[in-house]
Amino acid sequence: MQNRTTSERLTFHDAMETFEVDFSDLTFSDAAEVDAFYDEIDSQLVASGRRWYFLVIYTGCVIVPAAWERFAERGKASNINHGLGTVRVGATAQTRDSIRQDAERSFFRANIHDTRDQAILALGELRKKQRDSLPAADDKFLRIDNVSLRFGGVKAITGVSFAINRGEISSIIGPNGAGKSSLLNVINGVYHPQEGTITFLGKKRHDMDTHEAAAQGIARTFQNIALFKGMSVLDNLMTGRNLKMKCNFLQQALYWGPAKREELEHRKKIEQVIDFLEIEHIRKTPVGRLPYGLQKRVELGRALAAEPTLLLLDEPMAGMNVEEKQDMCRFILDVNDQFGTTILLIEHDMGVVMDISNFVVVLDHGMKIAEGTPDEVRSDPVVIRAYLGTAH
Amino acid sequence: MFYRDSGQFKETYSTDQQIFPIRQDRIGIALVLLFAFVIVPVIGNQYWLSGILIPFLVFALAALGLNILTGYAGQLSLGTAAFMAVGAFAAYNFVLRVPGMPILVSFVLAGITAALVGIVFGLPSLRIKGFYLAVATLAAQFFVVWALTKFGWFSNFSASGVISAQKVVILGYVFDTPVRKYLMVLTIVVLMALAAKNMVRSSIGRAWMAVRDMDVAAGVIGIRLMHTKLLAFAVSSFYCGVAGALYAYGYIGTVEPEGFSLDLSFRVLFMIIIGGVGSILGSFLGAAFITFLPIFLNTYAEPFAHAIGLQLPSGIVSNLELIIFGALIIFFLIVEPLGLARMWQIAKEKMRLWPFPH
Amino acid sequence: MQFFFEVLIGGLLAGVMYSLVALGFVLIYKASGVFNFAQGAMVFFAALTFVSLVERGFSLWVAFLITFAAMVLFAVATERVVLRPLVNQPPITLFMATIGLTFVLEGLSQLLWGSQPHGLELGIEDMPLEWLSANTGINVSQFDLFAALVAGILVSGLALFFQKTRIGRALRAVADDHQAALAVGIPLQQIWAIVWTVAGFVALVSGLLWGARNGVQFALTFTALKALPVLILGGFESVAGAIVGGLIVGASEKLAEIYIPQFLNAPLSEAWGVSVNLAGLEIWFPYALALAFLLIRPEGLFGEKHIDRV
Repeated sequence: MQNRTTSERLTFHDAMETFEVDFSDLTFSDAAEVDAFYDEIDSQLVASGRRWYFLVIYTGCVIVPAAWERFAERGKASNINHGLGTVRVGATAQTRDSIRQDAERSFFRANIHDTRDQAILALGELRKKQRDSLPAADDKFLRIDNVSLRFGGVKAITGVSFAINRGEISSIIGPNGAGKSSLLNVINGVYHPQEGTITFLGKKRHDMDTHEAAAQGIARTFQNIALFKGMSVLDNLMTGRNLKMKCNFLQQALYWGPAKREELEHRKKIEQVIDFLEIEHIRKTPVGRLPYGLQKRVELGRALAAEPTLLLLDEPMAGMNVEEKQDMCRFILDVNDQFGTTILLIEHDMGVVMDISNFVVVLDHGMKIAEGTPDEVRSDPVVIRAYLGTAH
Repeated sequence: MFYRDSGQFKETYSTDQQIFPIRQDRIGIALVLLFAFVIVPVIGNQYWLSGILIPFLVFALAALGLNILTGYAGQLSLGTAAFMAVGAFAAYNFVLRVPGMPILVSFVLAGITAALVGIVFGLPSLRIKGFYLAVATLAAQFFVVWALTKFGWFSNFSASGVISAQKVVILGYVFDTPVRKYLMVLTIVVLMALAAKNMVRSSIGRAWMAVRDMDVAAGVIGIRLMHTKLLAFAVSSFYCGVAGALYAYGYIGTVEPEGFSLDLSFRVLFMIIIGGVGSILGSFLGAAFITFLPIFLNTYAEPFAHAIGLQLPSGIVSNLELIIFGALIIFFLIVEPLGLARMWQIAKEKMRLWPFPH
Repeated sequence: MQFFFEVLIGGLLAGVMYSLVALGFVLIYKASGVFNFAQGAMVFFAALTFVSLVERGFSLWVAFLITFAAMVLFAVATERVVLRPLVNQPPITLFMATIGLTFVLEGLSQLLWGSQPHGLELGIEDMPLEWLSANTGINVSQFDLFAALVAGILVSGLALFFQKTRIGRALRAVADDHQAALAVGIPLQQIWAIVWTVAGFVALVSGLLWGARNGVQFALTFTALKALPVLILGGFESVAGAIVGGLIVGASEKLAEIYIPQFLNAPLSEAWGVSVNLAGLEIWFPYALALAFLLIRPEGLFGEKHIDRV
């Protein structure tokens, strides 16, 4: 008895990424009826533009032998084209047996359950298993998987995935508003993505707060300098080492003894950074009084003071003249060379990006449009159209 | 010519990070301390000791506390007097109810009690900033005074909540003369000032300043905001609590909750604005200024008015005080937002060059 | 039950008065981004000047005009001496400057007019409305109703002004960014002088109403502090918020003042074994309410959410 229309039997469950098909109490008396029903299913799947898990309810469904082959064929095609996996519901033992026999014959997994609730549980298991079995070849230092970030109605990042290698310099480029800084903020823990995971040093996480990110060795600089204007250069650099200081405030109030030793020990480390960045002459100057270029250098110093494993640089060359840019390039390359720090930077200056990067990711309107070596990206027509432009 | 640091090279980080790196400064501070500890007790009369120097020291301590919270950590607080009240009443109750409680221990406990109250009223700082936080501290101010008045237990059920500080006996010596009280207060304040200076030049001080300057960036480099802010409230309230206890035991003797009013909180706030926010020295300079100004006005306003032929009506001095305070606040905010401490620094820079102009 | 309504209505009407003071804050904050702590002192100054003039024989209207002139003078002087040098300083600096201003104004008021309390008669009595109490047994003060009416008119007028006029738009621009407004050619100084004058007018009206109700005395400056919880509840930038916030604060304050001791005195006394009297908690209750509200919704009922961009 067909007492419901086809479209009433088809439901999309967005949150579960599941497409539910209710065959219950249907009778297919010939191939044409099968085709009609599956045409409807397929057209909706195509229109949705993505892949789904299938939840199929077979209770009381009758397929006459003449229609059976077509039914199996169409089902398999839908699975291959639009499916991620299928769970089935058969309320009667008869239905379940029949499906299981067919599964044996045709080499697919029956995954059939008594009730819809059980099927949904099984669906959860299936999804989890698939997630966990992602290629464990995560020798990748940092992997971004399908990250999406929204602010209210504004989509900052949509489904971005890429990975960078240890010890390399990678760049993110793209027009303004492409979501580059937001991506850095996600890696760093300042924003928490609605979807997607970040795998850093083999540990996968959905989100993390800034304190944890810092503790794991991620340091960064900001587009608009985020130095502590009221403190001197030395003090700013010392804040970079805050996580490594173990003395509590009482010991510090006393100062003599462990607190003093700790201060001096970290001061030595800071001096190495000061040496490296050639900012000895402005050690004691309050940061607010320094010119822009030097402030940027101090900010780099503060990030380096933390001895990071991953260094995120947000437009480190912005607002600099040619000489300052050369200096900054030199510092970045030296950091990568001497300390082995992995660097991920956002930059608009194509010359710099192409010169110093091993790997480039291109974003536009929150989505990744290309990735690869600088040469590959430079010649990619999509990138040229969206961002680089051609030389006339 | 006299104030030069030529020839004074720092060869170790240790000497570079001293509190007073310039030798002349070290000599200067040694002289000041010598004067304060040795000479003043000998030459000081009761009026100066009890009426001027002791309140100056007590308020300097409160200003230190507020400066830690507002000047270094950037959390605006209008509840300083409430924390002082907690300290005073806590000390009183500890001495009253715990037999054989040493007075110094009771001061420490009073400070700790104030610190705990401070943490409670500081919790909102985790969600709110700026003026809104000031409102939370106002709530603290009004609530504490109301509670101390309403619940008679705090004042041992005396009328209108007045308490009388008990005698101060330390190691068998009775501290009841102005000189002895002065020395006790002086020692405590100097030690706590030293502790404060040590804290602000260590990582906790830097964490406070980072939170003040840009708390998002501070979070990014790994500073735990909650921990840092609450610690600022705790330490600041500890200082204010001890100041309150000293206020009762070293200065006035009889206190009531109403005496720790919003007015007092504003007074301390003015001290750090005029003296210099974010400066230990500034707390002392501001306290000195605010303590001495009324005296100065009282002493000189009348003769001055007579000299120019004016007849001053009564009550004019207190109003003049208000106007001058207000005008000074505005003046400092326009001209030198970093207060007297910065002006002192600039003066020292000029002294280094003297007699050359630049 | 009637008593409850009396308390409630009394509270609401008091709340309207709070809104009036809060309105002065909102005006200045909306237009210059400055939190004017001196609003309370302005209320006090206006009330004191008015009442002193009346006592010296001036008629109500003349006194009103002269006081208003004084408020204009104050606004212009403030703009010149305090605001102009502090253009584009962080808001906290401006806030502290207004604290300084408060003290100057308080000292000045008392220097000029002395510090005794004065009574103020506006011709409307603080008596219950006859027909209402006759018919329903609820006593509502005529004066309170008059105050509510005045406040209502003032608030509506100002709300319209901000929304509909060109100057209103300019004011909102100024509140956002001083330098940008200057760059676009908005005459900052004039705007500020105008706004502070209007705020002064609001302060004058508030001062008259409050002064008539509670007498003109130094405690009037504290009404400003009462306006703070109103602003928190309603948001600092919303005229509507000032009204709603004021009503909430006024009502809750009165209700808490009467009913909390009524319900809690006995049980607490029993529980703690001592005589507990929770009277007087209206001193801090509005703040606690505001605080609780802040924790849930930091920007107030009508305020704008503040996003920190890194």
